[in-house]
Amino acid sequence: MKVRIGFEIHEQLATRTKLFCTSPADYRDAEPNTNVCEICLGMPGAKPMGVNAEAVEGAVAIALMLNCEIVQEPVYILRKHYDYPDLPSGYQRTSMPIGRNGELAGVGIWEVHLEEDPGKYDPVTGKVDYNRSGVPLVEIVTAPDITSPEEARAFMRELVKVLQYSRRVRREGGTMRVDVNVSIEDGARVEIKNINSIRGLYRALKFEITRQKNLRRRGKAVRRETRAYIEEQMITRSMRTKETAEDYRYIPDPDLPPLRITPELVERIRRELPEAPHQKLARFVEQYRISRDDAWAITSEPEMADAFEQVCTQVEPARAAAFFRHIIKKTLNYHNLSFAESGIHVEDIVQVLRAISEGRLSQQAGELVMRRVVEGERAAEVLREMSRVDEQSLVSAVEQAIHQNPGAVEDYRMGKQEAINYLVGQVMRITKGRADAARALELLRERLS
Amino acid sequence: MAAEFVLEHSPEEHLARCLDRIEREDGRINAFIELNPRATEEVREAPHGKLRGMVVGVKSNINVRGLRATCASRTLENYVSPYDAVVVERLRREGAVVVGMTNMDEFACGSSGETSFFGPTRNPVAEDRIPGGSSSGSAAAVAAGFADAALGSDTGGSIRNPASHCGVVGVKPTYGLVPRHGLIDLAMSLDQIGPITRDVRTAALLLEVIAGRSREASMLNADPEPYSRRLTPDLSGVRVGFAREFEELTAPEILGVVKRSLRRLEAQGAEVVEVELPSLEKALPTYYLIVFVEFFSATRRYDGRRYGHRIEEVCGAEVLRRILLGSYISQKEYAGRYYRRALQFRSLIRRELLEALEKVDVLAGPTTPKLPHRLGEELSPLEMYAYDLLTVPANLAGIPAGVVPAGRAGGIPVGLQVHAKPLQEQLMLNVMLAAEGRE
Repeated sequence: MKVRIGFEIHEQLATRTKLFCTSPADYRDAEPNTNVCEICLGMPGAKPMGVNAEAVEGAVAIALMLNCEIVQEPVYILRKHYDYPDLPSGYQRTSMPIGRNGELAGVGIWEVHLEEDPGKYDPVTGKVDYNRSGVPLVEIVTAPDITSPEEARAFMRELVKVLQYSRRVRREGGTMRVDVNVSIEDGARVEIKNINSIRGLYRALKFEITRQKNLRRRGKAVRRETRAYIEEQMITRSMRTKETAEDYRYIPDPDLPPLRITPELVERIRRELPEAPHQKLARFVEQYRISRDDAWAITSEPEMADAFEQVCTQVEPARAAAFFRHIIKKTLNYHNLSFAESGIHVEDIVQVLRAISEGRLSQQAGELVMRRVVEGERAAEVLREMSRVDEQSLVSAVEQAIHQNPGAVEDYRMGKQEAINYLVGQVMRITKGRADAARALELLRERLS
Repeated sequence: MAAEFVLEHSPEEHLARCLDRIEREDGRINAFIELNPRATEEVREAPHGKLRGMVVGVKSNINVRGLRATCASRTLENYVSPYDAVVVERLRREGAVVVGMTNMDEFACGSSGETSFFGPTRNPVAEDRIPGGSSSGSAAAVAAGFADAALGSDTGGSIRNPASHCGVVGVKPTYGLVPRHGLIDLAMSLDQIGPITRDVRTAALLLEVIAGRSREASMLNADPEPYSRRLTPDLSGVRVGFAREFEELTAPEILGVVKRSLRRLEAQGAEVVEVELPSLEKALPTYYLIVFVEFFSATRRYDGRRYGHRIEEVCGAEVLRRILLGSYISQKEYAGRYYRRALQFRSLIRRELLEALEKVDVLAGPTTPKLPHRLGEELSPLEMYAYDLLTVPANLAGIPAGVVPAGRAGGIPVGLQVHAKPLQEQLMLNVMLAAEGRE
């Protein structure tokens, strides 16, 4: 039975301010209801400022990266009316399409448009935090071109990568929301809401397709309805049917003149468009002469790709690529972190790779160093500590220094305190600087007293 | 000519006199819902701007920090404004003092001042009559001498209608000239804030203070002119249009006053010519369909969660009627049939008015088709809506329109309405000044 799957994906745009006012859009570390003003609170009488230009540019850039045509006609901002505690005005503002007829990885992109995020309602306490209210969202609507949960997962991974590469969306994670449409063999379309991870998407689809197939096997029709994904139980549950579907009473917002996206603006954004993941991959293979697999691993995240290019200014690319693909990716997977979140600096990687190539560090030890870097240390310190001579070698170096410098030993014993510094220097010379100077001093004092 | 407000007494003394009059007479007139308890303090601290000492009443749908913007509804009876509307900020910066929040039709839904949750307002000039609406308290407060000026809002005549009935001056500016941020919505695409005053000069002064760019999206990129300094009653070469349709739609006693007023304009050098506005009668249904839909949208925030009451549970009959009609006609299945059609007619009416204004410099005519009814007299909704017949076209077209006292009919004031092209407030005010007949 042929399955057809389409998505509506919402992601927050990384703008400084909200969509219709100048309250800060980054609210993560803010106390509840502090990043707000009368506009994003929807207070009586408040009027929106013009649509945030940074958000418009972000949506245009994303639409271009998804190979969309940018709409030439005026783009109206609509009011979508519904009643929910997180919606301070009783309507959500959502734009008409900004981009149309795009394509990514063989899947059609129907449209890209702007929306405002509502606040956050906690049904347990009954409290609403409006810090999120008015934060700009980009919504991407795909054609129902996907035919299996596996394809859905692969497509979403690719889309997430493109969004990250656009550098227009929030990188903190956890802000993406996906609504999925599923139908089987021209049956009724079922919408699933409340999905916020790729894993959740995969599980929700697995469940929903099985549910619909079972219904049909028993000769029952699939109802046109909206269902919610219940994360904890990995199932979907009916929210409302077509008969009880809401009428949003869309009207163009009378407070907002339509947007006009000029060809000049589109051209400027197109010129400044960051490299897409597949373009970067091809360039890495070509420019650094590395394998496609290496390049694929390295370009999985734009921040990692950037770091790779910087490392390659100081280290031979083939060795850097192997290190990124095997050691760094493994370390990140182990800690379940993205490169951007990991705290790894270019300098850390360069130092570890140098130590390995100079024979001071084994590959395995290199992995241990990276693990400690991810845990918050700097590679330089870790390397210094790891390369120190052990206690036994230090003791023999101390003894050797005493034996080889009877004059200095004599001076010290006669009360000339500075002489011991000369002996420490000799220990460092014998150990090629890998001794802990403080410990050497201690050992010398013991032996000479 | 001095471009600032002039007082006979000190600002403190002047405010005290206004407050004294309010105390003696407003029990009867009911122009104010709430007085500003800090007014006396504020007048002492007021900056030395060009409105220094001006005592201003503010319509109860405009936010004044610390005072209640009730919209004369139980829905917002406990809503204390946390912020100043942009126009209020601008008044304060020039030294004006808000004396209190004026009465109005509930959520500006009315043309008589009778639908207020806080009781009807009386017409101070003809006390058995309605003052008109919806800026009933603002016009009454100015007519009664409780304040030097008031702010009103005009969606389909709500400044001009009560100004005409109460014998004062009222101006609805070009849409987008005066910031609305802080004005509680009736119909967002039509609402404008404007001044109500006793003379044209003060209206010009107030308008130049409140008008001009702000950060809200629906503003024109226009700066006000120094209207009060440039005012002149000399109308040499000015062509004044009078529409034939005005004659058919207006009561004869009003027409008589208006025509005398036109002759005064001719005496000042104007040429009066007849024009046609064939779609004038379509303006009213077009206007109300737009109002219903936009008002429905605007009231969704009064869901009972933040402001205490769910609007549908506590509002009056007229407000409820508009919400229900707005909800009905904006349904998916009807949206094309009503709201879109209304927007098409709106374009037609705008085009027709602008075309008429290509042939002449201003249009002058009556403000309302009939004189104000007696307080308490029962009118059907359609009879009530008919008051707005001649005032809604300016809102639909977004053009400026002002009302100036033209005389009386049976002791009841009648105002002359002057329309101008977008942003031609100066010419409109000049014509109003000439009609005012003061020197």
